[in-house]
Amino acid sequence: MRNDRLLAVLATLAGVALIVIGVVYLALNEHDIPSFFPGHNSHPSAHHHVKHGIAAILLGLACFAFAWFRTGPRETRTAPRS
Amino acid sequence: MVSAAGEHLITYFQAIVIGLLQGVTELFPISSLGHAVILPKLLGWNLNQKEPYFLAFLVATHLATAIVLFLFFLPEWLRILRGLGRSIRDRQIALADPDARLAWLLVVGTIPAGLIGLLFEHPLRSLFSNPTAAAAFLLVNGLILFAAEFLRRRAPGAAERARDLELHPDSATSPEAEKRLATVGFREAVGVGTAQAAALFPGISRAGVTIGGGLFVGLTHEDAARYAFLLATPIIGAAALLKLPDLFGQDGNGVRGQALVGALCAGAAAWAAVRFLMRYFETNRLTPFAIYCLFAGLTALLVFVI
Repeated sequence: MRNDRLLAVLATLAGVALIVIGVVYLALNEHDIPSFFPGHNSHPSAHHHVKHGIAAILLGLACFAFAWFRTGPRETRTAPRS
Repeated sequence: MVSAAGEHLITYFQAIVIGLLQGVTELFPISSLGHAVILPKLLGWNLNQKEPYFLAFLVATHLATAIVLFLFFLPEWLRILRGLGRSIRDRQIALADPDARLAWLLVVGTIPAGLIGLLFEHPLRSLFSNPTAAAAFLLVNGLILFAAEFLRRRAPGAAERARDLELHPDSATSPEAEKRLATVGFREAVGVGTAQAAALFPGISRAGVTIGGGLFVGLTHEDAARYAFLLATPIIGAAALLKLPDLFGQDGNGVRGQALVGALCAGAAAWAAVRFLMRYFETNRLTPFAIYCLFAGLTALLVFVI
């Protein structure tokens, strides 16, 4: 149970971080994003890494979904509904 | 709008042919991208596959295919979406709820392929979008389909699912089919979903690798095809929607009319293709498509190399 909670907390934190990263990719151009971000361009450029942003947000949402189900009620093993 | 040479970028005739071709080959396990690269070259058409106008044109045909797939499986999608909502509300993916389970199998199958596509689609297209490479990958696609047919006999649970379908032939239609699809494990769903990314190589078929993957994890041909089409819908639709601004922006100048015609043809062809394939896979296998891919790939390779 404690492991479940720990995993859920970690997944939530990772989800928040990924969504922030995604927003940064969408909001800033490749020159203005932090230099340690993949795709950073040291030369002035107006190009936005939209795909990187969408990918990060998708992963963030996946982390939230994981945390949501991890902390939900335990599955009961019953026969499939007809 | 016309090119600098005074010719249309894509003629309406070409738009019709490419639209029909896209609609059929996107769903048949024979690679739409491969055919879109190989066929114009064989016909001697001067279409540059890497040019923004051609990519903008393809967006429309892909969107039409995704819409048709969604409409064809509309009852399934409605059940799946309701199941998704139920699972989020209840905070659990209950074994007793095949719709919810299938929804999450599709989600976990779509995420890896979506991420790989988002990050690597452009470099892979730049690298391999030439007729010779596409012909070689078409050959590989044929081998993959043969391998899937060979390996399916060893798949876990295949015999049980086939027996279930034999005993209850009316269960081929959903929601009975969804119950069988929902028995696929999450790990297998990730594997089958990730295999979709192989379709980024022109010549490798998305439908082929996902149907093959479905057979590999023990689904029957019909269930594997249903799963492949359900899995393909969000990713084809999302990719097309993401690039839709290109069609309405500068890249779409001169091809919007052709794109509309191409999209209508692609939609009609996709509807006929999915209808045919769902019946075909009730009793048939991937083998004829494997033979076709080997033959077409080899022939195209010889034509381009010699």
